[in-house]
Amino acid sequence: MAGTLTVATKELKDQFGSKRFLILFGFMVLLSALAAYQGVDYIKNNTNASFNYIFSGARMSFSFNQIMVMFGPILGMALGFDAINKERTTGTLSVLLGQPIYRDSVVNGKFLAGAAALATLSTGTIAIMCGITIPLLGFAPTLAELSKILVLATVTIVYLVFWLSLGMLFSVVAKKTSTSILFSIATWMFFAIVLSILASAVANALVPMQSADVIVSGSEEGPRFQMTEEFREAMTRRSTIQSTILRISPTEIYENIINDVLGVAGGFGGMGSMGPQGFERTMSLTEALAANWANIAALTVGLVICFAASYMMFLRSEIRPGD
Amino acid sequence: MTEYIVETSKLTKMYGDFTAVNELDLEVEKGEIFGFLGPNGAGKTTTVLMLMGLSVPTSGTAVVGGFDIVEQSREVRTVASILPEYSSLYGDLTAFQNLDYIGQLNDMPREERENRIHELLEIVSMSEWADMKYESFSRGMKQRVGIASTMMKNPKIVFLDEPTLGLDPIGTLDIRKLILSLREEQGLTVVMTSHLLHEVKMTCDRIGILNRGKLVLKETMRNLNQTMTGGEDRRVEFRLTEVTPDLIRDLESLDSVKSVTQNADSLYVYNGAESDAEVSRTITRHGSTILMMKPKEYTLEEIFMKYYREAN
Repeated sequence: MAGTLTVATKELKDQFGSKRFLILFGFMVLLSALAAYQGVDYIKNNTNASFNYIFSGARMSFSFNQIMVMFGPILGMALGFDAINKERTTGTLSVLLGQPIYRDSVVNGKFLAGAAALATLSTGTIAIMCGITIPLLGFAPTLAELSKILVLATVTIVYLVFWLSLGMLFSVVAKKTSTSILFSIATWMFFAIVLSILASAVANALVPMQSADVIVSGSEEGPRFQMTEEFREAMTRRSTIQSTILRISPTEIYENIINDVLGVAGGFGGMGSMGPQGFERTMSLTEALAANWANIAALTVGLVICFAASYMMFLRSEIRPGD
Repeated sequence: MTEYIVETSKLTKMYGDFTAVNELDLEVEKGEIFGFLGPNGAGKTTTVLMLMGLSVPTSGTAVVGGFDIVEQSREVRTVASILPEYSSLYGDLTAFQNLDYIGQLNDMPREERENRIHELLEIVSMSEWADMKYESFSRGMKQRVGIASTMMKNPKIVFLDEPTLGLDPIGTLDIRKLILSLREEQGLTVVMTSHLLHEVKMTCDRIGILNRGKLVLKETMRNLNQTMTGGEDRRVEFRLTEVTPDLIRDLESLDSVKSVTQNADSLYVYNGAESDAEVSRTITRHGSTILMMKPKEYTLEEIFMKYYREAN
């Protein structure tokens, strides 16, 4: 345990002192501050809107949770992708492991330091958002809203730490940092772009549709589209298949949880952003958590699996000449 | 009775089908400097990594400082230190911070750490640069800080893997002096690996030669020098002011001289060490003067080709 804390302290100092962390943190603060500012605008125009619209952004796609969905994987993996293999390639690993510590201290210490850095990053960003908006709005969040913000922070940390542990897994699997950074970028691209395209392609292939399902009839006001019952049914089946496939995506899971917690039902493009009725359908925190316990469990399990895999692989890996 | 700090028994390491270290039996005495010699890829580094408990042997056992390298690998690392080849400390930390981190990993209290760091940086002549980043150091300075880092835990034995590799002559000399002084002043046992015979000649008491994972020779440096320069292959090179056919005939007629050959300016006399005096007297008698007399230097390759052939 002493070894773990020593490694963690040193790694945390490294993280906080690194340009990488400062740039990511600065980038997050900048984007989030802009999002919060737009949220303030929205709340001022909708007097009964909740304080938490500074995070969810309502009708705007540019919001804290959208930023996290988009850049969360990069934030998490950036702090972990070279955790182990950088020490291997620079030759510090054998010096480190030449000390009387157990090998798991190294993985645990690095993981703890990365998690602490990400926790600082996300709570720091959220705190700064509140700090900017409270004076602008002239009111603070209520207790219920505050508890939602705390859940938002916690879920965000779990989500980011999941990506951290995946990044660390890459750093154990790949011998070179150039390989693990490619793994990380490919993973990010897959979940950010490829998976949704893939999901709709699969849905389209499984549920073929003929154009005859849509009846177009002309009238004086112009062409009218009328959907047949079959068409409507096929559309529903397609979207079910799509959303089922998307459920394997951690970003999708995170988005679902956060949308429910912050009270944007359906998320961007869904119900919540359709009109002013959106915030009237806000779930309570308990309702949101009850609806999402499986999602939260999925994120946590994913985190544990990635961490356990890197832990096992690192403990079994050989220190070879040159490490 | 000699006290052994390292004892291995049939220590073997396989990487798949490849045998990196093959049934190694080795003892290192307390307080000696042991040179572990062999060509690249002979298994020196693998052996050292196993002895530090960093790599698990496929079979065989070894005890370092009284601890079993498999069952008590953590304890081994409390008494043994390693400076691995191509190793590095943390580039973005200063010399002081690097040593401090290693001290922390060894559970040393702050005050003890600081005293030890100052003492060690003094020994390796790096006190002036204590607060400079490791990455800004030259290779020689890095190696000196590296040696200081191995001394942090106050070890009984230090494994130095190719400690002078890539150093300039001054750096090499510094490291050599440092190794000898650490043994003198701190009573340290040192195992150093090298692929250069002359390198270990300068520092080591005893050497072991490893080839393809097999130990082909274990010998004290003194005995080795004797066998190599006094054995049947002994040859002395002479540079003389004048060489006459008479002189060569007379030299060849000496009992202990096996043969004499002449090549350009040099005269090669194959003889036993005991007849050196007689050979030089004969030369002087013929009115020639000896400008240079040099027994043949053996290279690592020649030595272990000889022992390798014998071992097979």
